[in-house]
Amino acid sequence: MSLIIKNLTKSFNSKKVLNNISFEVQNGQTLGVVGFSGSGKSTLLKIISGILYKDSGEIIIPDNSEIAMTFQYSALFDFLNVYDNIAFPLVERKEFRGKYTNEEISKIVKERLELVGLSGIEDKYPSELSGGMQKRVGFARAIVTNPNIILYDEPTAGLDPVTSTLIEDYIVQLKKELNAACVVVTHQLSTIKRAVDYVIMLYQGNIVFKGTVNELLAGTNEYARQFVSASIHGPMNIASK
Amino acid sequence: MFQMNRTLTYKAIILSWLEIKEFLITLGNIGQDFSNVLKYLLTFKIKTKEVIEQGKRFAYDSLPISLTIVGMTSAIIAMQLAPELAKQGAGDYTGMLSSLVMIRELAVVMSGFAIISMVGSSFASEIASMSVTEQISAMKVLGVDPIEYLIVPRFIAGFIFMPVIFVISALFGLVCAGLVSNWTADLSILNYITSLWHGLYIRDIFIAILKSSFFGATIALISCSCGYAARGGAKEVGLATTKAVVWSFVAIAIWDFVFASVFYL
Repeated sequence: MSLIIKNLTKSFNSKKVLNNISFEVQNGQTLGVVGFSGSGKSTLLKIISGILYKDSGEIIIPDNSEIAMTFQYSALFDFLNVYDNIAFPLVERKEFRGKYTNEEISKIVKERLELVGLSGIEDKYPSELSGGMQKRVGFARAIVTNPNIILYDEPTAGLDPVTSTLIEDYIVQLKKELNAACVVVTHQLSTIKRAVDYVIMLYQGNIVFKGTVNELLAGTNEYARQFVSASIHGPMNIASK
Repeated sequence: MFQMNRTLTYKAIILSWLEIKEFLITLGNIGQDFSNVLKYLLTFKIKTKEVIEQGKRFAYDSLPISLTIVGMTSAIIAMQLAPELAKQGAGDYTGMLSSLVMIRELAVVMSGFAIISMVGSSFASEIASMSVTEQISAMKVLGVDPIEYLIVPRFIAGFIFMPVIFVISALFGLVCAGLVSNWTADLSILNYITSLWHGLYIRDIFIAILKSSFFGATIALISCSCGYAARGGAKEVGLATTKAVVWSFVAIAIWDFVFASVFYL
């Protein structure tokens, strides 16, 4: 088992954003996390990645686990070019300082760029890239340290359908290549269908659906039904947010 | 009427409390960031390349504005002072007074203001923008401490390179004052240069250099800290920048008072 979350709770100013969340993700599996905006999906990823502190609960990962995260708007360092963005953890991280020679770093960066289909753009700056390319450079940067847990925050948000498909393919490919446990936060049904093995749905900080993609699509409970049919009528009240 | 007054009083109390809370939070953030910076400084592992890069912004980018402000201020002071002193038969003291005012106070404070507007505001907006676009979060997830990567080099650059700006600006200011004295009161340049040293001691120069180092480090720390604490969007980037500028001005005034009290009281 690669990632186990037990009874995770988080509040902001007395508002409970996550309430006793529990799930497990094995190596080589991808969990999709869906739900309305503000339902705590991104907060969940930020807690797992260590950006935010949890109030209570447990995050169990094997020793020496390497966690990577991609961000909704890529979060590439705009003052560095693509090469330096990808090489950043290898050059700046304490454990890796001096571990790799410049030639080795260059080789790793090139390999990672090839993996996301973007060879030859090392000298470009993030502002010179399209949204889809930025996402893929973000992927390349995230996997440069060979992570065994990868967290994706809205990987296909704001992208056209074709680029979304490309990104979804990369999510599947990276999972296979690295045998990583992946968590994908998304609103897109296409991403769920193509890149995810099973799904949890969050609503007001609680898990209201847990099951396979087919179960979600079949609408096996009223929350799943409302989400899949994109209906404003159902147990999830948008106004109550 | 009584009810309305009471409501207004409550509102005023709540607003005051929010302001105090905001003040304390900012102070706490700066204190926390400073202690983290110190932690890295004590390891003596300094990123020389980044320090030099940030130092360029201090010493090179802000030099024109610093020279302009200090040069203009000293010229204005000489313009006001030299003719009056000459009328009283004390024209030879112009150099002495200029050096006293410039080295002890004006050059360092004015170049501090120039650094705040040029470098401090840029540090704050740059780091705030990184924070709201999740670049800081990405840095943390990649295992790199943003304090070490972003704040420590800027802090050291401020400490080292602010004196460079001060020395160049002070010299330029004294030259401007000399030229203006000669032009407005017909005082000889040679007399001006000779009298410069009458009001100045080596100790004053060292104190001013130390003070400028403290100013530089404080401006860098406050600006980075205000930017680092920014959350939200474009509005918060603007607010963080404004806060950095205001806090830096106040901090410089307080440091100036502390230095004057400790060394000249």
